[in-house]
Amino acid sequence: MKFSRKTLGIPYIIFLLIFVVAPLIVLFYYAFTNGQGQFTLKNLTGFFTDPNTVGTLVYSLAIALVTTVVCLLIAYPVAYILATSGLKQKGVIIMIFVLPMWINFSLRITALKEILTVIEGNLAFYPFLNSVIGMTYDFLPFMILPIYNTIVKLDGSLTEAARDLGANERSAFFKITLPLSVPGIVSGISMVFLPAMTNYVVLDMLYNSTYIMGSLIGSYFSAYNWHGGSMIALVLLAIICVFTLMTNGLEKEDARTGGALL
Amino acid sequence: MRNIFGKSRGLRKSILRGTAAFVLLTLLFGVLLPPDAGFFGAVNADAAGDEIVLRVCNWEEYIDLGGWEEDEVIDLESGDIIGENSLVEDFEAWFEENYGKKVRVEYSTFGTNEDLYNMLTIGDVYDLVCPSEYMIMKLMAEDRVQPLSEGFFDQENELNYYTNGVSPYIRSIFETHEQNGVSWDKCAAGFMWGVTGFVYNPEVVSEEEASTWKLMENRDFYRQITVKDNVRDTYFAAVGALKSELLTSEDFVSDPDYAMRLQDEMNDTSQEMIDRAQDYLQGIKDNLYSFETDSGKADMITGKVVANYQWSGDAVYTMDQAEEDDYYLNFAVPEESTNIYFDGWVMLKAGISEDPRKQEAAEAFINFLSRPDNAIRNMYYIGYTSTISGGEDGRILEYLDWCYGAEEDEEDTVEYPVGYFFGGDPEDEDYVITVPEEQLHRQLLAQYPSGDVIRRASIMVYFDQDESEVINRMWIRVRCFNIKNVPLAVWIVLLLLVIAGVILYLRHRRMKEQNY
Repeated sequence: MKFSRKTLGIPYIIFLLIFVVAPLIVLFYYAFTNGQGQFTLKNLTGFFTDPNTVGTLVYSLAIALVTTVVCLLIAYPVAYILATSGLKQKGVIIMIFVLPMWINFSLRITALKEILTVIEGNLAFYPFLNSVIGMTYDFLPFMILPIYNTIVKLDGSLTEAARDLGANERSAFFKITLPLSVPGIVSGISMVFLPAMTNYVVLDMLYNSTYIMGSLIGSYFSAYNWHGGSMIALVLLAIICVFTLMTNGLEKEDARTGGALL
Repeated sequence: MRNIFGKSRGLRKSILRGTAAFVLLTLLFGVLLPPDAGFFGAVNADAAGDEIVLRVCNWEEYIDLGGWEEDEVIDLESGDIIGENSLVEDFEAWFEENYGKKVRVEYSTFGTNEDLYNMLTIGDVYDLVCPSEYMIMKLMAEDRVQPLSEGFFDQENELNYYTNGVSPYIRSIFETHEQNGVSWDKCAAGFMWGVTGFVYNPEVVSEEEASTWKLMENRDFYRQITVKDNVRDTYFAAVGALKSELLTSEDFVSDPDYAMRLQDEMNDTSQEMIDRAQDYLQGIKDNLYSFETDSGKADMITGKVVANYQWSGDAVYTMDQAEEDDYYLNFAVPEESTNIYFDGWVMLKAGISEDPRKQEAAEAFINFLSRPDNAIRNMYYIGYTSTISGGEDGRILEYLDWCYGAEEDEEDTVEYPVGYFFGGDPEDEDYVITVPEEQLHRQLLAQYPSGDVIRRASIMVYFDQDESEVINRMWIRVRCFNIKNVPLAVWIVLLLLVIAGVILYLRHRRMKEQNY
């Protein structure tokens, strides 16, 4: 057999099969069977008829949504200012935002816990707020980087042209820069929103005793109910798929305009 | 990917075929084979050579790993005890010396009983594991446990440290509790044991307040108490709190069948009790700081919370750590009842697979850990209480005195009888130590509970499949956000947001279409 570029793909195919396809099949198997190994849809219907599991889904969505919005509100101005300003030490500033990512995540949250305790006194009074703060702290770099990358690669002549044609700064921003940076925003959102739905470690560490999707799956597994747990994982997967399809739609429209993804 | 396989169909096909076979194989091994057969079938890796491989799985940080500093020496009168090497290494050397065979211990750890069970279900194979009593019961019920050999109970053999040194109190519990008609002691050897209670800050919480499970519902400590994030422990506490009046009533306590009735009451898994426990836990959830998995100790020490539901071993650790900062915490055991728990060694059939050499090594491992000096090393390192009282060997009692005994010129001392543990007779005067009075509320009470506490200690048996399903569902209900609690206003706002999102999206698309 001749060595070709195709051969290079083999390791990746094997990787995909072992770590993506096989677990998925196992997941499907468990989600649609009961303890006796028979096919059943009960796990699926059970999920959507139990006010507690649906409530958890809603609660997770709420946390993820608020986290994403807060991240976006903080990240966009930062990325925009950094990308458009004439600062020479841009790299350094970006580095400062990325720096926390180099430190172990649980260490960071532990530190945050102490800081929040100093500010709030008793963390137990603000579980939702703390969860959002923790997640925002954790995920902010994932929002800043893609937006920054998109804006920095924007063709400056477009805004200049807009200014030449009489647009003021504000409308140039809203008509040119913002729409063109949508791909960055979209990929930022998908990198924040989805993990935020399941990252229960942050909640645990910041004393939010309400389950989100991740902890719910964990509780099913520690009760040896692999079938129910797999179904929840599958429901999450379905949500992620729908979400990705939607955002892909957005991105494709913008592909021609030269948006960049991280 | 599309590009890589674009042209060469032959290659693509063969890769597909190969990978399909691979997936199928994986599935066969992972799903269809009986769970204990292992991911790639339990390959006996130790078939070659005369070295015995012993696969041990223990709790995290549940064995002395050695490396002690010079000043950590436990200087008992009968000799110094110091942990130089890890006990696992020490065992390998000791085994070769006494049994003339080489053994290699593959030591791994687990985080919770449920994790261990899941690991076993996925197909991890171990020879010797150390779960808690209820998990031992579950494993025994599922016929996964290899009974201990007769030689293990031979008291003539001086290498049998376990049977010669286990506390009479522990021995009697193991002999009187059965699973599937087999008493525990036939299959399991106790390692550590303890009771549950509250570590509390005596400057804020009084001993009386901390001595009841009702502390969890006490509004005076609104959001200042943490409770274990664990369905069994919280259920036990809830039952204790709900039945508080009955359990502390004069009639009940003086009943001749008190011990048995107490165990029945605390193991009440009737639907009515589970429902009441759910209401209770949902109610106190708002009153608590949080349910915690392992942050409780640190939060107690840093003063974030004023009381923390704790296992006695962790309570000792917490109080020790706090003391280093000159911050004194106390321990109290609820008056209603306390959960006495054990972690014990059991051999697994799947691992031992009737190999007598392996079984010998596994039993020797238990015995080695039960040698009084090793038991002391473990106790010193992890803070829990060993099930070993030492028998003829007086070093455990000596260690107890070394830890807690009062100085000779000390005032305010009390006599503390521990006869129930060391001699089997609570009144035995040989087993009384003189301790500073404060120790009645501190580490000593947690590490070697008083006879009073032991009287109201109750074992929590394992729930069978149906019970545990109902109780787990109860627990999930307690922890989940119930959608019915969402106020209408939030729904309306959410609806508006979604509508706004859709409109924005549509507008965005229309703008695009106009542009091109």
